[in-house]
Amino acid sequence: MIRTVWAIYRKELRVYFVSPLAYAFLGAFLFLAGLFFYLGIAMTGEASLRVMLGNLAISLLFVLPMLTMRQLAEEQRQGTFELLMTAPVQLPALILGKWFAVLTLCAAMLVGTLLFPIVLAYYGEPDWGMVATSYIGMFCCCAAFSAAGMFTSSLTDDQVAAGLGGILLLLPFWLVGNATAVLGEEWQEVIDLVALLPHLRSFTRGVLDSADLAWFGGFCFIFLFLTYRTLESRRWR
Amino acid sequence: MIEAHGLTKRYGPMTAIEDVSFSVADGEILGFIGPNGAGKTTTMRILTGYLPASDGRAIVAGHDVFEQPLKVKNAVGYLPETPPLYRELTVGQYLGFVAELRGVARSQRLRRIGEVMEKVGLTGWERRILGSLSKGYRQRVGLAQAMVHDPPVLILDEPTSGLDPAQVAGVRELIARLAGERTVILSTHILREVEALCSRVVVIDQGRVAARGSLEEVCAMAGGVWYRARVEQEEEAPAVVAAAVGGLAGVTEVQALDDGSLQIQAPGDPRAEIARLVVSRGWSLAALDRQVPGLEEAFLHIVGREHG
Repeated sequence: MIRTVWAIYRKELRVYFVSPLAYAFLGAFLFLAGLFFYLGIAMTGEASLRVMLGNLAISLLFVLPMLTMRQLAEEQRQGTFELLMTAPVQLPALILGKWFAVLTLCAAMLVGTLLFPIVLAYYGEPDWGMVATSYIGMFCCCAAFSAAGMFTSSLTDDQVAAGLGGILLLLPFWLVGNATAVLGEEWQEVIDLVALLPHLRSFTRGVLDSADLAWFGGFCFIFLFLTYRTLESRRWR
Repeated sequence: MIEAHGLTKRYGPMTAIEDVSFSVADGEILGFIGPNGAGKTTTMRILTGYLPASDGRAIVAGHDVFEQPLKVKNAVGYLPETPPLYRELTVGQYLGFVAELRGVARSQRLRRIGEVMEKVGLTGWERRILGSLSKGYRQRVGLAQAMVHDPPVLILDEPTSGLDPAQVAGVRELIARLAGERTVILSTHILREVEALCSRVVVIDQGRVAARGSLEEVCAMAGGVWYRARVEQEEEAPAVVAAAVGGLAGVTEVQALDDGSLQIQAPGDPRAEIARLVVSRGWSLAALDRQVPGLEEAFLHIVGREHG
């Protein structure tokens, strides 16, 4: 099982880094991060990453489905899914291997943005605890979004549909946060439970709240599980 | 080595295959033939553990496909109709990945990959990107992939489709060399290939087994078996010889052919009788053999009959 996860993981990273996709997204992400960093400091005048990270979380919502869209859709289009399923590969190993590969890519993107806190440290006094929890929060976002992206990728053999589907699936989790005005105060509790940004707030304040960690953990689990069920049912059709 | 018992696959109200049974002995090459859409691929997908059957049982390499799918998968090498390749990887990376998935020990991997690449004629192609390969070479990589873990059972879905004649000959030769050491199911609609390679044949049509048996049995099923005799003598007119043979018990019809030999129809095998007759008359027998129609003829007959 672990051997299979490892084999899939290495194959995925290899495929990512020989295609222009990974570089394009790393570049785009770092460009956006730089922009948000500059704007955040220019607007607030404080030596903090709060604005940058908040905006990056939203951009990740669009970027990650683009990274995960090919993962399972392409296996099905190329017929390599049949190769994997006629080899002694268990579905959970396949899914985890692929998920870990995206997470590694995300970690690489986030490491790239470490340049900004270093710049901050040069000119001011950033709160390192806050920086650390913010990064943990960002990583949680990556994990959750990639799980959702993998789920939409398992539904189709069309990459573009998988990518757009991923974005459409994730958007409500962001937008519902602003729905209080429409739905009314009595929905506030439900909204706070479902919406993405309230669960990120503690991270940007330098707090690791177990409830928020659990929210992200649950989010990942649900979508990884749905991916598993979709792939399993695919063989029965 | 492979046993299928009453395999059935339904997709909702549609039945893809029904009650498909056959067996393949150790080291045998089984030709699996049938028209497009007859259910060949479905059957093979069930045997590889990719698709669950709606009904029936299958034993491959001593393991039940539905109860011990991982053990079966370990024992089977499978080449689907289109070779399942990752276009971005090189030949070496790809075969390394499959070998790793298949559990080939790290210390053996390079050696095994080198061996299968040599077998399929890919030596020196390790660094080529799969996406840039021609169809023939992709097919070879597909074959190498199926054999990389040294499986006792190989299931090949149209391994020569899309190859040029020289490549077809190469792949055929390769499969012929596997006979005896591996059990092979070879699906194809190139019947000459089956005649050249397979000792036994299963004909599947409209999801059902239409014929199965040794190559000769299946050919004989078409009903066109006849015997050819060539008698040489000087005294009598050819018609006398024909009449004498026609008078034998068990011979139903005798016709003289243009080349002077006789075409003899008989339900049983009349060759011993004919030989005795010829000898007793003091004639000499230049040829006496059993004529079985080719597989193509038999195939059209079997499939045509099913449809009619």
